[in-house]
Amino acid sequence: MLTDLYTRRALIWAFANRDFKTRYRSSLLGWGWSLLQPLATLVVFAAVFSLVFRVQAPPLGNGEGSSYAAFLFTGIVTWNLFSSFLNLSMTQLKASGDLLKKVQFPGWAPVLGASIVQLVQVALEIVVLMGLFAWQRNIGWTWFLAIPILIGTALFAQGIGLILAILNAKFGDVQYIVAVILGALYFLTPILYPISMVEGQSNLLATVVNINPMSWFVQSMHDVMYSLTVPTWWVIPSLLVGGFITFWIGFVLFNRGSEDLGEYL
Amino acid sequence: MSAPGKADFAVSISEVGKRFKRHSDRRGSLKELIVRGRAKNEEDFWAVRDVSIDIPKGSVYGLIGHNGSGKSTLLKMIGGIYRPTTGNIVTDGRVAALIELGAGFHPDMSGRENIQLNGSLLGMSRKEIGAVTDEIIDFSGLSEFINEPVKHYSSGMYVRLGFAVAVHMKPDVLLVDEVLAVGDEEFQRKCFDHLYALRKAGKTIIVVSHGLGQLEGLCDEVAWLEHGQLQQAGNTTDTIAAYLHRVNRDEAARNPNITATRPEDDRAGNGVVRVTKAEIVSAAGDPINHAETGATFNLRVGFDVSESILGPNLRIALQHDTGPLVSMISNHAVGYDFGTIEGEQLVDIAIEGNPLLPGRYRVHIDVFDYTGSTLLDTWNDAMEFPVRSQSGEIGQGFVQLPARFHRH
Repeated sequence: MLTDLYTRRALIWAFANRDFKTRYRSSLLGWGWSLLQPLATLVVFAAVFSLVFRVQAPPLGNGEGSSYAAFLFTGIVTWNLFSSFLNLSMTQLKASGDLLKKVQFPGWAPVLGASIVQLVQVALEIVVLMGLFAWQRNIGWTWFLAIPILIGTALFAQGIGLILAILNAKFGDVQYIVAVILGALYFLTPILYPISMVEGQSNLLATVVNINPMSWFVQSMHDVMYSLTVPTWWVIPSLLVGGFITFWIGFVLFNRGSEDLGEYL
Repeated sequence: MSAPGKADFAVSISEVGKRFKRHSDRRGSLKELIVRGRAKNEEDFWAVRDVSIDIPKGSVYGLIGHNGSGKSTLLKMIGGIYRPTTGNIVTDGRVAALIELGAGFHPDMSGRENIQLNGSLLGMSRKEIGAVTDEIIDFSGLSEFINEPVKHYSSGMYVRLGFAVAVHMKPDVLLVDEVLAVGDEEFQRKCFDHLYALRKAGKTIIVVSHGLGQLEGLCDEVAWLEHGQLQQAGNTTDTIAAYLHRVNRDEAARNPNITATRPEDDRAGNGVVRVTKAEIVSAAGDPINHAETGATFNLRVGFDVSESILGPNLRIALQHDTGPLVSMISNHAVGYDFGTIEGEQLVDIAIEGNPLLPGRYRVHIDVFDYTGSTLLDTWNDAMEFPVRSQSGEIGQGFVQLPARFHRH
C-alpha cells in the first residue's frame, strides 16, 4: 500500500495542486468562503444552544469560567474534518469518472488529492480556533496532542471515505444514505453538548454516543484543546492506530472494488 | 530456426475477451439491485471475443474494422483502461495511450500547469516531467500561450499540447486511436515524423484508424476485427484487401446496383434517337453498384432508334463530381461503327483495367449522326457511379494512366 502511494505521489500531488488552484478561482472571497461557512454555523448554534436551550459548557482549562462557543467550535472543526472527507471522497471519485474511462490511473489518486486540499481548510479552521482560545487566554502545551488526534481523525475518515466512494460509484444512492446518517450522527457525537451529559446513562442513545468512534475523536479534541487535559494514556495511540487500520482497510477494499471502475462510473 | 518467444513481442494478447453489461442491466441503485436481483448473463454483450495477437517489438501495428468492431476496446485493454474479462494481455515496457489527448486538462489551469497534471496522469514522476517540460512546450509550438489557461486554447492547440505530453513520456509502446486526424497540416506532419522517429528508435506503435491508405503506408502488420472477433492478421496489404473486399461485398448486399432509366418527359433532339437507359455492369455483364480501380467494367447504354439511321456516334462524357471533365468516350474516336441500325439497342462499353481512381463520376450521354455534327439526342446527368479502391490506396488525380517504367 505504502509503495503504491509513494510511486504515484506525483499524481496525488498533481490532483491536489489542480484542486487547490481551481477551488474558489472564480469567486471574489476565495478561501474566505471556506471559513465563512463553519463560522456561520458556529454563530447560529452558539446562539441557539447557549441562549435558547441553555446548554452549559464544561469549565475551560484555564479555570476561568466556560465558553460554549469555543467548546462548540472545537467539536465542529473535528466533525467537519470527518464529514468533509466522506463527502469529498464520494463526489471526487464520481467526478473523475470521465477521466478513468480515458486514462489508466488509480482512482484513489484524485480522492486523496482532494483530501490534501481539504486539510488546508482544516488548518485554517484550527488557526481560527486557536485564535478564539488565545483571546480567552486558554492556551496549553496539550495543544500539541491535537496533531496526532487530527491525523488519526483524517486517516479514519479517509478509510471510510474510500469505502463509501467505491460503493457510491456502484450505487448512486449511497451519497444520500450517507447524508442522512451523517445528519443523525452529528447529534450522536458530543459536539453540541458535553459528553458528561450522557455519561452514566444506560439508554440506547447514550450507548450509541459512547460507541460512536467520532465521539472519541471529538472528545479527545475537547480534552486537549478546550480543557487542556491529557486523555487516558492509551486513548491517543488507539486513535492513531485505529485511524491507520481504517485507512488501510479502506485502501484495500477500494483497490479490490475499483478494478472495472472506468466502466461503471 | 526456433519460433519467436514471448520476449520478442511488445504486446502479447492471448484469447482475450471483454464483456460489457448492457446499460439497462446495470444496477445503478440499491433499490434496483434489491428489487430485480443480479443481472442475467444472457443480456451481456461481448465487445471483444477470443482475440489472440502477438505484436512484435519495434513494429507498427494497425487495427482495422468497422465502427463497433471492438478495436478501440482492444486498444483500451492494451492500455490498461479496461480489464479483459477472459484471457490476458502481457505488455513489455511502458505503454502510453494517445487515446484521448489532453485527458484531464483543467480549463482554468495554464498550459504549463496542465503539462504537470497530464504528465503525472500518464505515469511520469515530477522529475521526469520537469526534465522534458521545455521540450514539450517547444514541440507543441505553444510557448507564447503556455501560461494562459487552456480554456482560451483552440481545440487544435489543446490537442497539440496533449500529443506533445504523451510522446515525451518516452513510451515503449504507443497506442494511437484516430488522434492523428486533428491539428493542422503542419502539426500532423510533425506528429508523423515523430512516429517514424519512434519507430526507428525501436518503439512499438499500435494504431487504430479508418484511414486505410494512411495505415498501408505506416504499418508493418495489420489485424482486422469484426464484431469483436479477429478475422485476419498479418501482412498489411493482404489484410486490408480482405477487409475492403468484405466492405464492398457488404455494401453490394445493402445498396442497389447502379442503373438509371430516363424519365419519359426528358426529351431532346428530333426524336429519331432516344437514350433510355444507363447502368454499370461487371466485366461478366452482372449489375454492380460500384466500379473498382484496375478492374474492367462496362458502361451499358440502351437507346431506341425510331427510323433506320446510318452509323451514329454515341459519346459519353465522364465528369468527376468535383467538376472536371475526366474523359470523353465515343465509338468514332475508337473506330467502332454501328452500321445501319433501327429499333432497340443495347451497347456495352468496356473500360479495360479501369484507370479511374476512387471517387464519384457522373455520366452524360450524347448521340450524334454519322457526320458527328448533328445532335440527335442528349441525356445530361444520366447517372452517377462510385469507383472504389481494391487495395486501400486512394491515389491522387483522377486516373491511373497505364504507365510502364523502363530503365536504359
